[in-house]
Amino acid sequence: MRHARIVFDGRELDIDIDANDRITTADGEVLDVALDSDQITWLPPVKAPGTIFALGINYADHATELAFEPPKEPLVFIKHANTLTGHKQVSYRPDGIEYQHYECELVAVIGKTGKNIKREEALDYVAGYTVCNDFAIRDYLENYYRPNLRVKSRDSLLPMGPWIVDTADIPNANALKLTTTVNGKLTQDGTTKDMIFDVPFVIEYLSKIMTLNPGDMICTGTPHGIVDCQPGDTIVCTIEDVCSLETRMVSEQEFYGDKY
Amino acid sequence: MTANTLVNSKLVCVALNDKAQLAALDATFNDAPYKKPPTQPVLYYKPRNTWSVDGAEVEWAKDFGSNDVAAMAVGASLGVVIGKETCRVSAEDALNYVNGYTIVSDFSLPEESYYRPDIKGKCLDTSAPVGPEIVAADKIANPDALTVSISVNGEQKSVFELANMERSVAELISIISRIMTLQPGEIIAVGFAGDRVAVAKGDKVVASIEGVGTLNNTLGGA
Repeated sequence: MRHARIVFDGRELDIDIDANDRITTADGEVLDVALDSDQITWLPPVKAPGTIFALGINYADHATELAFEPPKEPLVFIKHANTLTGHKQVSYRPDGIEYQHYECELVAVIGKTGKNIKREEALDYVAGYTVCNDFAIRDYLENYYRPNLRVKSRDSLLPMGPWIVDTADIPNANALKLTTTVNGKLTQDGTTKDMIFDVPFVIEYLSKIMTLNPGDMICTGTPHGIVDCQPGDTIVCTIEDVCSLETRMVSEQEFYGDKY
Repeated sequence: MTANTLVNSKLVCVALNDKAQLAALDATFNDAPYKKPPTQPVLYYKPRNTWSVDGAEVEWAKDFGSNDVAAMAVGASLGVVIGKETCRVSAEDALNYVNGYTIVSDFSLPEESYYRPDIKGKCLDTSAPVGPEIVAADKIANPDALTVSISVNGEQKSVFELANMERSVAELISIISRIMTLQPGEIIAVGFAGDRVAVAKGDKVVASIEGVGTLNNTLGGA
């Protein structure tokens, strides 16, 4: 089963989506609308977003050819709900920068409170998986708490969704094809099997430091294959069996409107 | 996550905002891994599992072998409580978006490096008491003129005059509001004395700001 949050017919709804793409609301109402309908506005899929953990440098797909030594422990940074937006929504490119790129990532959504969770039991704490696009602006990188908040905490630069797939429906989260297209052209073509620290490892690691809570999210990093994105570009991040997340880039002025 | 925390949704902290600390570290900023001095405020989050209250016990942290860590430290800051949606505001206008002021204590492992986000050091459960209350903004004529002090077991250990901050409260609100839209109840801890105070198990820690209040916490593990 898949779970999402949408606005439909003026109502904000929590929905379930079955294997036949049939949409049922939390009240049991069946919606007569197709998943790709423009009548649906997709919200970020986690209803009460908690702490968002994101991983940097977590793919080793070029480790062999580059003789690159993988990190010995996860590089984790934190984001908050101001960065979230939904499927088919917009993200902005700040004025006056040279290089902003997408990062297509598998996201594990925490469903149960836990501390000191063992790897073997970690998936019991995962409600499901979704996809995010953890945009980065390389111009703003500085070597202080890198990747710093100016790079990674901006409004709208973490599109997520459209839905969460139950953990039980993804038997192996480390065997999924991961692709990104920009304006229909394939620019990133990887697989989650190249992840260095997998979801159970990261849950064990983080929960040794702190308590994880329902609504927390773990964004697991992106493989090789990133390109600069400009206003007007449409970016689609896809992870096999999970979902495809579409984002349109706009300028800073278009995004902020009156507040620009 | 304490139910009656004063924090709503976000606690942003500003590191390296003590002019004396910046001066002391200046020589290292041109070396690896930093290579250049910071050009922007150095920011970090205390996430929701850290939020706590006046009077609460702060857990003594464990290492990855489940043993008690050897050392912890505390810093204290003025906490600026946002009163309304704050998006891309100017420094001149920034204080109009403040609802009030409080105190944030940041318990952590000792600060050793500012290179990577300090998740292991800063994200410890119950390590960010905030309180004792929110004092209305109109009771504080000039937030940059306040002094933050820390005492441990009755002995004064740190005094930090906010006049010695690299960036003022208004400047920080303005800069942060151009990164992220701030919401009512979100709190910015605007600056800590560069020298964090070492603490031991069972210590009674008091952070105070005249006119804002006194925040009392005790280290666990004793």
